[in-house]
Amino acid sequence: MGFLNGSASFVRFSVEGDLPENFWDFAAERITAFSFKDIDETYDEFSIGWVSVQNMFDSDFQFASYASGDYVTLSLRIDERKVAPAILKKFAQKEEERIKKEKQIPKIGRTMKIEIRERIQSELMKKAAPVPAVYDLCWNLSDSTLLFFTTNRKAHTLLEDLFKETFGLLIAQQIPYYMAERLLDEDDTQRLAAITPDIFV
Amino acid sequence: MDLVDLIAEKRFIGQEFLTWLWWKSEERGGSVELPGQGDVTVVFEKHMLLEYGEGESSEKCICSGLQSELKEARTGLVMGKKLEQARIQVAQNDYEWNFTMAAAVMEFRNVKLPKTGAAQEGGNSPEEIEGLILERIFLFEELVRLVQALFRMFLEVRVSNSWKDELVKIRSWVHTRGQMT
Repeated sequence: MGFLNGSASFVRFSVEGDLPENFWDFAAERITAFSFKDIDETYDEFSIGWVSVQNMFDSDFQFASYASGDYVTLSLRIDERKVAPAILKKFAQKEEERIKKEKQIPKIGRTMKIEIRERIQSELMKKAAPVPAVYDLCWNLSDSTLLFFTTNRKAHTLLEDLFKETFGLLIAQQIPYYMAERLLDEDDTQRLAAITPDIFV
Repeated sequence: MDLVDLIAEKRFIGQEFLTWLWWKSEERGGSVELPGQGDVTVVFEKHMLLEYGEGESSEKCICSGLQSELKEARTGLVMGKKLEQARIQVAQNDYEWNFTMAAAVMEFRNVKLPKTGAAQEGGNSPEEIEGLILERIFLFEELVRLVQALFRMFLEVRVSNSWKDELVKIRSWVHTRGQMT
């Protein structure tokens, strides 16, 4: 559920800094440069990039589909190969048993156990299908704010990094205190900085 | 100060806002007058999460039920807890939103947008899709604008000298509500 249909969850960010001149040309080039690259046919463990909000398989953005009026709408797609800890444990133990039998030894040393675990993890990782996650965003260019449609903290951090790499701009989550600084004048902001929690009973 | 520390130190601002908004909405029977904009319907419903204390010593209390039955939440207020999450209905003009606000970081969760004609008709042409996107953006931003206007209203009282008087009224409401349960 994103911002295109159904109910949605979101947080607000402010976008810090000035937009470059010829913003749409700049955006076209940068979004393409940081578009999502599929890892289904590779052994890569992780891939992150931009796709169209309408279609997670569209990373070509024909006709600048990310432009809607004075807004940029994009989806952040993250594909990651993961191996569940229980699966890794099972196959590592299975391999230990096989080696014990093969070498006729009663016990496997710590170093060897680690080696086995790493080898099995790498083998399982190659077999695992990348798990996709897609999060929508909507950037209001005229008031430099951005709605990001997830409350997942890890995704917030990944967005901050990719946004900076793509557009060279920092974003800051609008927690109540930052929001208050924007809503109040200078005197009131100073008073706000000094207030402490009050008891409502 | 980094963001994590700032959230921890200032989380009370969002929580006090949400608690104030609950009082404010009940003060006039589910309606708040926004300066220069007229009345906005603000109704707290179904689900609330209250919090007391910080870090490891914090206590949480989840309450859900019909609006009139949020007895535990009201008792929680009397015990000094503050609202951390609440399901709220906000309406202005012909638009009505339902959403859960997580106060400490001001997250909008499970936002249900007003029903509109365009959204129901749909369409597949690029113009129709762009129209739908722009309408959804407008409705999300309109909700943010309303919440910001309410937040500004709270902040202006909170940093002013009249906060003491407001606090007296809120405390009286908390006690009256507590006695009703």
